[in-house]
Amino acid sequence: MRSALFAILVGLVGAALLHIVIILALPQFTGKDAYSRVLGLYEMDSFFPLTSEPGPTGLANDDPFLRVAVCGFSVDAGPARFVAKGAVPFWSLAIYDANSNEIFSMNDHTAVNGNLDLVMATPIQLVDLRKTPPASLAQSIMVAMPGEEGYAVLRALAPTDSYEETVRNFLAESSCEPFRR
Amino acid sequence: MFRIPLLVALALSVAFGVGIVSSVSALKATVGFGAIALGPWVAFPEAQTENTDPYAKAHRARAGKLLYGGAEGLQFTAAMDSNGQKLSSDCSYDISGITPPARFWTLYATHANDQPMKIAPDLPAATNAWTVLRQPYSSFVIHVSPVAQPDNWLAIRRSGAFKLVLTLLDTPTAGSSGLIDLAMPAIVKTGCPNA
Repeated sequence: MRSALFAILVGLVGAALLHIVIILALPQFTGKDAYSRVLGLYEMDSFFPLTSEPGPTGLANDDPFLRVAVCGFSVDAGPARFVAKGAVPFWSLAIYDANSNEIFSMNDHTAVNGNLDLVMATPIQLVDLRKTPPASLAQSIMVAMPGEEGYAVLRALAPTDSYEETVRNFLAESSCEPFRR
Repeated sequence: MFRIPLLVALALSVAFGVGIVSSVSALKATVGFGAIALGPWVAFPEAQTENTDPYAKAHRARAGKLLYGGAEGLQFTAAMDSNGQKLSSDCSYDISGITPPARFWTLYATHANDQPMKIAPDLPAATNAWTVLRQPYSSFVIHVSPVAQPDNWLAIRRSGAFKLVLTLLDTPTAGSSGLIDLAMPAIVKTGCPNA
């Protein structure tokens, strides 16, 4: 009897250890985290507008008034540049790394002239860009990217149905491209 | 003769059974630590950051949702009314009051598992800061009900428990140091027609 109790006690200690291991290791192998889903769209270097119905990877416009576009990008070969222009009532952009940690986020009020113009680069590329700033980046916001890969989420607000077309055009004309001088 | 293997099997089954069940239920129960609760509304302003706790990281990796960045907005969910009772889609509720300062807000209902409710497209399944009808001093009353209501009506489907999602866009609420008095609208049950 005592040995059975001892076995259960050992089992509970093991359960606590296993609980910690599962919680800590889970982000590495779920396979359905946001970054894997963005990669599953097979659309690198361009904003992919999501639909209201969950697509093949399960990403969708959750909020009925926000239209969302996602873009997987890498700064391995060079900086990535995000540009969007248009008169929508509200837009916001968030940059996440491959572990879905937020690196940077902004909205139209924190942008220059209300237009999105952002360059994500590794610290070394950033030094290079600051030493000889290209004229086309005079108004750009430059942010250092700690890792190499990540994804961007661009949201635009359509408060009523009449904004639908404006917002769709805003997302369709937004770009997420490798920057070359 | 089989005592030792039996005890080892017992210890292992307890370890794996309890370990796995406790992990899954912990991830289902909450998004993690670091919640801010304003009345029945709960938000996780740090859930998308590097500094968040391991539970929140595991939860967001499992849910795979696109979270809101700090400058984008803050999403509040309510699974209970202001009296602490679970929201049931057989009942009608009144959401009344004002939201904390934000440039815009949206409100919609989801099922208890965070999946959006499928509601006929001609019914008002969501409302926002522009379309809501306001009272003097800009407060509002929204009737959440499975049956049609006058004024602001948020249609839901009869499908057991549900949640309300209020997203504040471009809001200082997350970084609030308590200097601003944050008031979220109250959720009050007004009746259960069929219960």
